[in-house]
Amino acid sequence: MTPLITVDAILVRRPCGDLAGDAQLTTDRSPSVNPGDEELVASARQGNRRAFEELVERHKRRAYHIAFDFTRDREEAKDLSQEAFLKAFTNLKNFDGRSSFYTWFYRILVNLCLDYKRRQKRGPASAFDETIENQMEPSHEPVKPRSPDQQVWARQISHRVGEALEALPARQRTAFVLKNHQGLSIKEIAALMDTAEGTVKVHLHRAVTTLRERLAEFA
Amino acid sequence: MTEPMRTLVSPCGELEENLVLFHYGDLDGAERGALQGHLHSCTACAGYLKELDTLLPLTLKADQPPETFWTDYNRELRQKLDRAAEKKSWLQSLGEFFWPRWMPALATAGVVALALTLTIGRGIWSTNDSQDDAAIMELLPVAENLEFFKTMDVLDNLDLLESMGSQSNAA
Repeated sequence: MTPLITVDAILVRRPCGDLAGDAQLTTDRSPSVNPGDEELVASARQGNRRAFEELVERHKRRAYHIAFDFTRDREEAKDLSQEAFLKAFTNLKNFDGRSSFYTWFYRILVNLCLDYKRRQKRGPASAFDETIENQMEPSHEPVKPRSPDQQVWARQISHRVGEALEALPARQRTAFVLKNHQGLSIKEIAALMDTAEGTVKVHLHRAVTTLRERLAEFA
Repeated sequence: MTEPMRTLVSPCGELEENLVLFHYGDLDGAERGALQGHLHSCTACAGYLKELDTLLPLTLKADQPPETFWTDYNRELRQKLDRAAEKKSWLQSLGEFFWPRWMPALATAGVVALALTLTIGRGIWSTNDSQDDAAIMELLPVAENLEFFKTMDVLDNLDLLESMGSQSNAA
């Protein structure tokens, strides 16, 4: 039987911290004491909860932001991202390591987000909610507009952007959100969406074309 | 009040997809070089890129929840993981209870039950067979009488021949 590897043991064994395949991940900890995701997964598979919690700590913010890009609602985004972690936790034994944990986990999350959008479509038509918009700050505006005119203008842009994004077909929106908001590469998006890179490029191009037409007045 | 619709720049159609990838820095080597060369001479494509630079950042929204949100997030998730772990261990123990000790016994019981079902089933079928036999026995006398009816048919035919013969003689 393989001996149980604790997170602490990994930290001692891997002083150089090679984050193979996860170089883009941002963590609060110094990379010099970070074990790779795969090592944490191996440890979590043997029942080490602390290792799994370390994975959560590592991925929770990005997972939340991806879910938020789909839902535009804090509570929904929280629930969806937590559900993704739960699914990963309960199915960890089925993770065969053919792809990285990063790809496997975010694929679970993206599928949950797509399911959420499908459920939303089947349910009562949801008008774009301005109260949700008010929770958020447009990232391109580090300083809040001061004059009332500017505030109205910013709100109008925000509203129109929200509507335009809502109108995109689910897979176009997924490709766009993962590229534009999360900055993933085409290859990574293709892996998460379980599709070809060419298909991702087409989805992205169509999404950009639609958004450009809908937001023409702000160009 | 609606803003007047602005006319959008029309880039070279076949390059539009590459322009989007170029905007995101996702165009590789040769294609990138070729497009950069094209951009020097094509104002429409250069204008399209400028539009993307202006419009696409508008779609970005950064939600920055307060730290208390993340504290709650961790606490809630830990509770959910605890529940999932409990459920998992419950299912595991159930599986362990059945698999190592009881599974061979259950499998044997299953085979015995199957064998019994087949045996009893055969008994039922044989009862059906005897019922079928009784029905055949009832039909047998009728079948024997068939010979008599066949003879009657021959007699009918003889009558017909005789009548035909007498008619021809008379003629």
